[in-house]
Order: sequence, then structure tokens, then C-alpha cells
Amino acid sequence: MTRGSRARLAVAAAFVCALPLGLAACGSRSPDKTAPRQVFRFRLREEPPTVDPAQMTDNLSEAIVMNVFRGLVAMDPESLAVVPAVAASWTVSPDNLTYTFRLRDGVTFHNGRALEAQDVVWSFERVLKKETHSPRRWLLEPVTGALDFAAGKASSVTGLSTPDPRTVVLHLDRPFAPFLGMLTMGGASIVPREVYENPEKSYLRAPVGCGPFKVVRWEPSSLIEMAAFDRYYGGRPAIDLVQARIIENQVTAFQEYRTGGLDSLDEVPTDLPADVEPEVLRYPLLGIGYIGFNLDRAPLKGNPALRQAINYAVDKEYLWSKLLPGANIPGRGLIPPGIAGYDADLPGYPHDEAKARSLLARAGYPAGRGLAPISLWFNTSGDNRRIAEQVQADLRGVGVPVTLREVDWAAYLKAVEGSAETAGEAQMFRFGWSLDYPDADAVLRPLLHSKNVGPAGNYFRYRNPAFDDLVDRALTLVDPAARADLYRKAERIAVMEDAPLLFLNYFGSMTLFKPYVKGVTPTPLGEFRIPLERLRLEKPAS
Amino acid sequence: MTGYLLRRLLGLVPVLLAAATLVWGLLFALPGDPARLIAGARAVDPEVLREVRVEWGLDDPAPVQYGRYLGRLLRGDLGVSYAQGRPVAAILRDYALPTLTLGLAALVLAAIAGIGLGALAAWYRGRAVDLGVLVLALLGASTPVFWLGLMLMLTFASWLRWLPATGYGLDGITLPFTAARLPEWRHLVLPAVTLALVSMGGLARVTRSALLDVAGADSLRAARARGLSRPGVFLRHALRRALPPVVTVLGLQLAGLFGGAVATEFVFAWPGIGKALVRAIALRDLPVVEGCVLLLTIAYVLASLVVDLVLPLLDPRVPEGTGLQ
Repeated sequence: MTRGSRARLAVAAAFVCALPLGLAACGSRSPDKTAPRQVFRFRLREEPPTVDPAQMTDNLSEAIVMNVFRGLVAMDPESLAVVPAVAASWTVSPDNLTYTFRLRDGVTFHNGRALEAQDVVWSFERVLKKETHSPRRWLLEPVTGALDFAAGKASSVTGLSTPDPRTVVLHLDRPFAPFLGMLTMGGASIVPREVYENPEKSYLRAPVGCGPFKVVRWEPSSLIEMAAFDRYYGGRPAIDLVQARIIENQVTAFQEYRTGGLDSLDEVPTDLPADVEPEVLRYPLLGIGYIGFNLDRAPLKGNPALRQAINYAVDKEYLWSKLLPGANIPGRGLIPPGIAGYDADLPGYPHDEAKARSLLARAGYPAGRGLAPISLWFNTSGDNRRIAEQVQADLRGVGVPVTLREVDWAAYLKAVEGSAETAGEAQMFRFGWSLDYPDADAVLRPLLHSKNVGPAGNYFRYRNPAFDDLVDRALTLVDPAARADLYRKAERIAVMEDAPLLFLNYFGSMTLFKPYVKGVTPTPLGEFRIPLERLRLEKPAS
Repeated sequence: MTGYLLRRLLGLVPVLLAAATLVWGLLFALPGDPARLIAGARAVDPEVLREVRVEWGLDDPAPVQYGRYLGRLLRGDLGVSYAQGRPVAAILRDYALPTLTLGLAALVLAAIAGIGLGALAAWYRGRAVDLGVLVLALLGASTPVFWLGLMLMLTFASWLRWLPATGYGLDGITLPFTAARLPEWRHLVLPAVTLALVSMGGLARVTRSALLDVAGADSLRAARARGLSRPGVFLRHALRRALPPVVTVLGLQLAGLFGGAVATEFVFAWPGIGKALVRAIALRDLPVVEGCVLLLTIAYVLASLVVDLVLPLLDPRVPEGTGLQ
């Protein structure tokens, strides 16, 4: 062998040898082999986009955030009443402007430091601060001086004070009925300043709160482990370790559930084997599924008769009992059952082809004549295509031609939302809305108030001053019955007169739980809001 | 030798620049607003949207954005993920190990099985074994990896329960391999075999035809004339002479496995670069897409470099540095 070829061999050999060495170096993190007693494993279909409460807007992130963090108050998962959390008690002034919270003794962050009133102020100011770019800023905007602080015009929020280390006072500009409910949301969580000031943002992988579980391990795109927090103010949870396993593929996840790798699964296959059927938990959620109409684009623009005709033409019963049987309930309106303002007598649009045809004629398109195909947009996800195809078939039955446009999420949002000034390209679009807090305001205002036209939530570009007025007035009332009455009126205007959307369903959810998982509390707040601190496993001894 | 290496490594610069520019342009042209996706999944306050645009410089004209992006790359800064808020380098580190583990394991399996089967087919040329290998190779190369993965999972994980379907993140995979670490390594079997089966087909065909090409060479006849047995000639002379095209294909597959394992990663919940890349594209997370593409480009160039260095060792007639060029 010549010198040159020896050198070449050495380079090649070095490269080949370096690979396993590199592997060994990278793989030096040794997994913890001490098996805890009670391990609960559930599935996440994707890695949560964030575990920073100030940035969280989706339910995957909630699965972690709502177990790691706590706010001043929480929401009872069953009754949906506001209950104490970090605050042991609170009082509201007679004018409904001042909220005084008395903090619980002995609340400790996961890093061992005691929580104080000043932490509440810092956490709230962090959400409001411009640099945080929090999509949840609106939660705290009702507080006096919050807008000035957010705009950088003031160094502190005037309506936010701490008379002593155990008391927090929030002062509002005007009475705001849903305020307390909004404080139960993840965005109003209390975080320790020393961790969340870190410019390296270590909290994005190692969040620190004062909730029942603390994140102890994060394997990217694969696993998030949360251990019971011994010093949780509500008592140490019975579950020692929670494993959130990230498994995108539904088939894989279901096989993993069947073979014992998961104790719970959020997505139930449509062809569920009979022996698994008893493990399905069905429960309603606070949300609605719909197909939106773009009211700034012809032919839906200025033509409520056409929109009503479309509503009558689609068979919602068939959709949710035959095509996609599960936990969804055929939709009639906007306010879902279970919250004040729900109208059990709202007629909605039961399937009626004759009515649809007559309305279509009144709309100027008898039997659909003269009507150009309307584009129905949806993103590639779940059952969207099957729903869109069924709607297309139902509408074709009465003479309304529909073309389907399936795109990815980013392109979809662009086509649907447009901007505050300009309408998006989509004429009809498949969407859904989960309520941020259990109040009719949380669906009527973001979706249909004229101030929210565009990306702020009113994708329909619906503008009706009478509707706006009712929703605005309801917000300032404190009497629950009077508020509910105004919301019912507003809903009737939107649903029965203007029909800016096709009301498909009230959300329902199906979750699989192994029979040995006890203490499961189904909640309309969402699949990932089932309180893990109440769970315990009663596995038969193997 | 050193000069050649330096030239090749310098050649990486324009390739990377072209790849970076192409990806940036493609993502820029795609419909969808990164600022809107950064602002979260829910309806969003237009004021927050404006702030996000300013913060990330997304409201600047395209040439300004491109210039800033290139400047950042030249400083060796891959940037920060729009979606996760973490440095792209840290994200790539997270996904590199699972990808490398899976890719190498699949390559080793594919090489052993592919070269072995190809040699077997050549040895039994025109007989049932040859036909069998060719059919197997065709099946391996034409079966959709997604379907194959699911079938293997249903058979070996769900039905027979011999192997775990998922669970890379539960135990990790650590070296060196010992009996005690068997539970960790079992997670690797199904995804690696799935990927290997797909690569194996092509390797078997290349090996077979390369061996048949050299079968009638004078040097082999001479070896036989010197009294060497037929198996001896086959193993010591024919196989060695047939290796260069096989190694070339192997090198390309090595690079391809790093980015092309998306479907396998998806089926077996394997947290690799391919999956990260697809997700980043969906979220229009430009910095992460760029990081992944640059990493894959480097993998391709390095793999071809290694092939070029190895080829002259296998066959002295191949001049230095002509393998894949």
C-alpha cells in the first residue's frame, strides 16, 4: 500500500469511526430507570407549540400548561364555577370595579420559592408588555391603565396593586362581567420572575409554575414527563409521573393504546373494535363547528335568503349520526349548551330541502340557476374533507354548485382571514371555535362583533349594529339572568335573520381511557383539561 | 490529498449558498403569513400581529429580508425558530441524534442484506434464486414505505407483540450496546428494518448487475486459470471489482436516509429531522426549514466526499476524486 493510499484509508476510517463515537457522545444522557409507582401515559398528536402561558393559544399546549401552572382562580371542570386557586378567597366591590384577592398561604413554585403578591403583578405585567407579544393580552386589558402600560406610556399598571405581600387588588375601568372567568385561563398564570426573565428562555423547555405537576424531562417531538409536585398547595397528586407521548399518526397511537403503551387516547378511530367500545368516554365541549360565509364576497354578500337556504339544505343529523358518528351534536346556533344564554328553543335550521329551494328562489337563484360555483375552503386535517364533500353533495341536491379547495393551514388562514380592511379569498370555509371561557361573550364577541372583522375572529365580516349593541350592553351588566337574556336576543338576530354561517355542530369529544384509570372528570373545557391531579390507577397486580 | 479535500470543502460554500437562496425564495413565494402563525392558532389582535411583524422584520421589503438572512448565515447564525422561539442550532441538535441513529442502522442493514442478496442472485444467475431476489428487490423498491411500516408495526408490534412500535423518547438509545440496553435498542428495530427494506432493493440490483458485468473479465479468467476455486474468485476478485458502483449508491442512500425518512418517522413516532422539516414547512418556520435543508445539503456533500475517498481504495483504477462527479 502506498503512502497516499494509506492516508486516504486513514481519512475514510476516521470518518466512519467518528460516527459511532459521535453517537456515543450525543447519547450519553442516561434515562432514569427508577420506575415510579403510578405512571399515567396519554398521547399528544404533536409537540405543544409552547409551554409559556403568555403565548399559549391551543389545546396541546394546555395539556402541559394547565397542569404546571395555576392562576389566582381556577374553573371547576364540572360546574364551570370560578373556584379558588392561588387566591384562597376574593371580594368584589359593590360597583363591580374592584377585585381584592387574598392569597393562599404556603403556595410554592416548583423551584422552591414561596409565591407572593408581587409575582402576580409581575406575571400580569409580563402578559401586557409589548415585548412579550402575548396573544392573550386582552385578558388583562380591562384593568385600569393596562392599555397605557401595554403601549409603553406608563411604567406600571395603575389598576394593579399589592397592599401587602398576601393581597392583590385589581381595579377595572368599568364593570366587566366575564372578568373573573377570564382570570381562570392559562394566560393569567402566575410565573416566577427569576425564571421568566431569563434571556436564554430556558422556560420554553423547563417551565416553572406552582401547579400539581412539574416538567422533569422533555425529549423533543417524542415525550414530555411531568412528576407530581410534593408541595402542591392542593395536596400531592396520586399519580407519580405523567408521560405525554407525542405520536402523530392516529393508527400508531391507537395500536400503542391497544398494546398497553398508553392509558388514554384523545382520538378514537371510526371503526372502533367492539371490545374497546366500553372504554370510550363521550362528553360535550364548549365549542361550535361551522362553515363560514364570507359576507364581503358575492353571491353570499347581502343575500341572507341564500345563506338560510344553504343552512336548510345541509342534513346535520345525517352528518353526525351516520357519516361521522361520535360525540358531536347537530348544530342549531352559536351558544353551546351548558352556559348561560344557551337557547333550548332556538329553532335553527333543521334539514328541509323544500324550504331550501323556496329560499333559493327568493334569493334570486331558482333551482340554482344563474349561481356560479361557490368555493368551499378547508385545511388538510381530520374529517374536514368528508364534511366538505357531504356539504357539497347536499347543496348540489338543491342546485347550489360548490367547488372544494383543500390547502395547508398557513394558506388556509390567509384565504379565510384576509385583513381588517380586505376580505379573504375564500367564499365559504370550514372552521370551528372553542370558547376561551364559559360565557356567551366568548363566542358572540370574537366571532361576530363588527370590531373583530378579519384576523381578530370575525372571519365572516359580519356587521350588524343591533347585534353589536346587545353584546356590548350584556358585557356591562352583572345580573346573570339579564345578561343571558341579551345574549339570547343577539343570537336570534345572528342565527335566524342574518345567518352568517352554516351551523354544523356543537362540539363533543371522545376520549379513550383504560378501565383501570379512575377519577376521570370529563369536562366541557376540553380533552386536555381533564384534571390529572384527580386521577389514580387501579391496575390489577400482574 | 489535502489540497483536494480543501477544494471539495470550499466547493460546499456555493452549494450551500444556492440551497439557502432556493429555500428562502420558495418559502417566501408560498401563500401564508409567518407572522400570523407566530401569533398562535386562535383569532389574533391585529395590533399583536403588527408587533410580531416588526419584531421579526417580516414587514421589510423582500431584498432587505433576504440580505439580513444571508448576513446572519455568513456569521454562522442559523437564527431563532419562529414557532418555538428557540435557537435553530439547538433544535437541529435535538433531532440530529435520532436521525443519525436510524439512518446508520438502516444503512448497515440495507448494505448487508442488499449486497448479500445481489451476490446470491449473481451467483445463481438465471435460476429460481436469482428471480426470487429480483422480485424481492422490485417489491422493496416499489412498496410505499408508509404502508410497509404500518404492516410491519401491525404484525410485529400489535399482533405478535415481539417488538415495540414506538418509544424512542421513553428510553433513548445509548452506546455502547450491551444486553442491559436491549430494551432501548428494540425501539430501533422496526423503523430501521422498514427503511432498510426500501433501500435494500436498489442495492441488490446494483450489486447483481455489477457482479455480472465483471464476471467475464480477463482478470477473473486468469485467476481461475491460476487454479483458484470459483467461490474464491467470486469473493476475492469479482466482489471487490464490483464494489465501486455499489459504494456510490450506498453513499447517496446514506445522505438520502437523513432527510428521506419522513414517512418512517411518522409511522413509528421517531423524532427525526425529516419530520421536523415537514412540520416547519407547514408552520412557515423559515429559520428551521433553512437549518434542516442546510444540514441535509452538508450530509449529501460529505457523503459524496467519503465515497470519492473510498473508491480509489477499492479500485486503484479509479483516479482520486472522480467518484460521484
